[in-house]
Amino acid sequence: MVLSAALALPAMVGALLVVFGSALGARPSRWVAGAAAVGSAGLLWAGLVRGEVVDVLWVPDLGLRFALRADGYSVPFVLLTSLVLILVVAHTAYEVPSGGSAGGYLGCVLLVGSGALTAFLAGDMVLFFLAFEVVLIPMWVLIGRWGDPHDLAARRDAASRFLLYTAVGSTLMLVGILLLAHRRGSTGFAVDAVQGTGPRAVLIVLLLVLGLAIKLPVFPLHTWLPAAHTIAPTGGSVLLAAVLLKLGSYGLIRLPVLSAPEAFAVIAPWLGLAGGVGVVWGGLVCLAESDLKRLIAYSSVAHMGFVALAVSTGSQLGIQAAIYSSIAHGLIASLLFILVGGLKHRWGSASLTVAREPLREVSPRLGAILVLGLTASMGLPGLAGFWGELLTLVAAWSPAPGRPRSVFVASAIIAAVGAALAAAYVVRVLRLVWLGDAVAGQRGRPIVRVDIRGVEWAVTAVLVAGIVWLGVYPYVLLDLTVVAPAGPAVAP
Amino acid sequence: MIARLLIVLPVLAAAAAMALRRNDIGVRAACVGTGLVMAVLAFVGMVAGLGRAPEVVSTISGVTLPDLRMPWLLWTSPAIGVVTFVVAGVAAVIQAYAAWYLATDDRYATFAATMSLFTAAMLLVVQSADLTLTLIGWEVMGWCSFLLIGHWSRTEVARRAAAKALLVTRAADVGFVLGLVGLAVGARSTGLADVLAYWTSPEAPVNARALALSLVVVGVLGKSAQFPFHDWLPDAMAGPTPASALIHAATMVAAGTVVLWALYPAFVLAEPARWLLGVSASITMLGAALLAFAQSDLKRLLAYSTVSQVALMLGAIAAVPAQVGPDAGLFHLLSHALFKALLFLVIGWLAVVVGSTAASAMRGSARADWVSRVALFVGLAALAGVPLFVGGVSKELVVEGAFEGAVSPSGPGVVVLVVILLTVVVTAAYSTRAFIVVTTHRPGGAPTRRTMPWSVATVLAVLTVATTLGGVLALTGAFVLPSSSWVWLAISVLLITVGVSVAWRAGLRGDPAEELAGRFIPYADRGLGVDRLYTDLVARPVLAAAAVARFLDTEVIDAYVRATAFTARLTGTGVVRAHRGERPAVGTALVALGVLVVGIVGVMTWS
Repeated sequence: MVLSAALALPAMVGALLVVFGSALGARPSRWVAGAAAVGSAGLLWAGLVRGEVVDVLWVPDLGLRFALRADGYSVPFVLLTSLVLILVVAHTAYEVPSGGSAGGYLGCVLLVGSGALTAFLAGDMVLFFLAFEVVLIPMWVLIGRWGDPHDLAARRDAASRFLLYTAVGSTLMLVGILLLAHRRGSTGFAVDAVQGTGPRAVLIVLLLVLGLAIKLPVFPLHTWLPAAHTIAPTGGSVLLAAVLLKLGSYGLIRLPVLSAPEAFAVIAPWLGLAGGVGVVWGGLVCLAESDLKRLIAYSSVAHMGFVALAVSTGSQLGIQAAIYSSIAHGLIASLLFILVGGLKHRWGSASLTVAREPLREVSPRLGAILVLGLTASMGLPGLAGFWGELLTLVAAWSPAPGRPRSVFVASAIIAAVGAALAAAYVVRVLRLVWLGDAVAGQRGRPIVRVDIRGVEWAVTAVLVAGIVWLGVYPYVLLDLTVVAPAGPAVAP
Repeated sequence: MIARLLIVLPVLAAAAAMALRRNDIGVRAACVGTGLVMAVLAFVGMVAGLGRAPEVVSTISGVTLPDLRMPWLLWTSPAIGVVTFVVAGVAAVIQAYAAWYLATDDRYATFAATMSLFTAAMLLVVQSADLTLTLIGWEVMGWCSFLLIGHWSRTEVARRAAAKALLVTRAADVGFVLGLVGLAVGARSTGLADVLAYWTSPEAPVNARALALSLVVVGVLGKSAQFPFHDWLPDAMAGPTPASALIHAATMVAAGTVVLWALYPAFVLAEPARWLLGVSASITMLGAALLAFAQSDLKRLLAYSTVSQVALMLGAIAAVPAQVGPDAGLFHLLSHALFKALLFLVIGWLAVVVGSTAASAMRGSARADWVSRVALFVGLAALAGVPLFVGGVSKELVVEGAFEGAVSPSGPGVVVLVVILLTVVVTAAYSTRAFIVVTTHRPGGAPTRRTMPWSVATVLAVLTVATTLGGVLALTGAFVLPSSSWVWLAISVLLITVGVSVAWRAGLRGDPAEELAGRFIPYADRGLGVDRLYTDLVARPVLAAAAVARFLDTEVIDAYVRATAFTARLTGTGVVRAHRGERPAVGTALVALGVLVVGIVGVMTWS
């Protein structure tokens, strides 16, 4: 009951805000949305601590159940989503994107959060799919309505591309889910995995992997991401990176890896290789990209390459590495998008080709947080990104049985080279925006001296704390994910 | 307890320095004070640990995953105790020096905090009994070196040098990470004891061992500035002198020696890795010594001498046979830490006095005060390997070890030994040259005078005494050292005499480098154009690949997506024309496509 309430609260408040938000004004909307986000987080916490399981027959004729349950694999994603939801709502105190009322914006944010939480908690494949789909609509509105006001055509293109591309992915996934349900005789997650590597099992896995690989995204299915990320408002980018991409990694773990492990092993080498290549590809594009927000988006492609590689190894360690990488990326990308959003707000654009005052000289605190975010992104030890990458390489070096080891070792080598490229693009960005000549004697450059403070500072400080905590204290997340998922929580 | 404190304290000091950054006295108290406390602690730890068996120190509790154990342990042994003490001591002295050197710098707090963190990372590597912890310390050092070298970020030279240092070492670290991963996967543990037990056991796969350790060696070559990765270190002279002293003397470039020393029982069984290290170290050792001789900038001379001396440590580890053990290389590490710190700080002081590090500008600069003259003499004598000075003792041990390797049936011992002997001559020559340049009378008149602050004088005095008497550390029994012989001592003395007298004879007429290798100087100053090679062979191709990737991403991969949308829109337009209905959204068409896929798949599956 508590879990259902935790999902219903943001959904209802979100829907009300979307409808009546314009009448409410910015500040009251923020308080209402904040209360909903915090309240939902509190209810979730209570539900998780009590180990609550919801299981109600939903559509009796089809055997569909409204089933919610949490295990070690879903809890990290649930907590990440709750946290990011609160931060995105809080961040509107710094900046509300233009394009509509603050209430409507916050309503869409809450709807995205509610849908994603439902997907992470779903104990039934069809419920997972529905929640997965529901998230797309408010996200599409966020991009299309509150996106970058500079270029209307680009905004429409990004929004519709996001919707269509991921809708195609979901369609493939739906087919996979239905076939899987047919094969297993149940739509529940926690039933016996499909055995064997027959053509039908492989087809099921192929459809699921393709659909989720678009979501993650995996090279070469990633091109919707940079457009959407770049155009989306700051909060939208944060939700995309921290929540929507995570639906992809969670889905990959939950559906193909756990539901049909043997058939997954057949196509896993391809997924692993695509992951490794994606790391290098994302890194290379980041070296040539001239827009900071797009650059961060492509760095997400590289990080999701690590997740794809980790998942494809099929081992327990690989799954843990994938979850660690995903959570770390959720925090790091959120931080970077908030910072870049702030810079865009200050500079008027995020172009790297414009000479500007170096941040180290004019806004040292913002500069320091940016350095922390970027070094976390390149996997510096002591920060969150390190463990995921290291464990991914270890997992790829010794993949689960039944997989060609040479392909995975090759993928690991490619990914390790890509990780070195990360250092290169981080240094490139730092040299372009952080380091530079002293301020005196620089004329003709727009002077932006507003350092980070207030709500913006508080939001980034929370993310920084999370990144450092995951970096120096990896126990909680590793312990949480070390246990195999609980036995059938939902009756088949 | 002390092992753990030595890592936690400097991290806390760094945090405190950042918190107090507006208060210079607070920063000094935090960083210099902690440095001194750590030196004392490390001394106590060293004395308490002498004569005891190696023991494991637990840290934060480790993690046991299904496929991988990560115990996260530290360990101490008498040898580690001594190295820890030298690292902590040298770092403390350099912190004190930095407080003077950067007294007027507006970012002194950041610098001191970074140095503190850097020291913590090095002490972690030295005491680590776990590959994960080693990697953590290793990477943190790389990042700190970026900040330290680029400290004066308002100048382009510093920014470029910092980026170069980070990128060159990070590129080599691809090998390091993969090598460590390979070692850990084989042993199913990152614990050093487990790793060594597995990889030295008879059932360990020979080729995998050779591959993994060769990859580790690649990483070591990068961090230790060995050929072909060596060129970042001379450029790193753009950083403030204390940063150079710390990076060169006690940390960073020496870290590779510590890692290979710890992995030695497995390393010695991997013949290809030994040859890779031995050959690279040999090329570096002699090449860098020759380049050092012909540098027109004295700080860069010291940089190349570091490259050459680190090659000596690594060459010793590559060459010595299993029954002798790698301690001679480790002993040269601490010897080098002492005399190289001394040399950097003296040259740094003189450079502040004359306002330049160019050999021509520094000519005769040490005539003004006897403290720098004595310090310089002792430092250079140790560098040249004059017996009884700490550098003489350690070089002697390295030569003995290399000889043992040369007469043993495996490993690159012969090559390394021959190159070491040649390097001894060149090292003696460039040490003599540096001394002549800084102490002989300048034609242009009296040298600039400036009173040496007491803090600098104390720092130099401490290091001078340590460099003179440091050889007694070999008598503590902490190291398993090859037995010395009078024959090799006599040969070394002879070779040193040759090097000194050649340089001295040329020095009677002016700068020995100009006399003996005048035409070579411009090439040596440019490091034989290796920087150009990095740019042309690595940086440019990578950037070209990046541009191609970006083009392909938008114009090829994305084109398929756009084509789908285009087709869908075309279909939509067709439908509009066919029926006089509402214009269907592109999405409808795509969803129709999806339904079609569903239908096809359904038919295929159920038929």
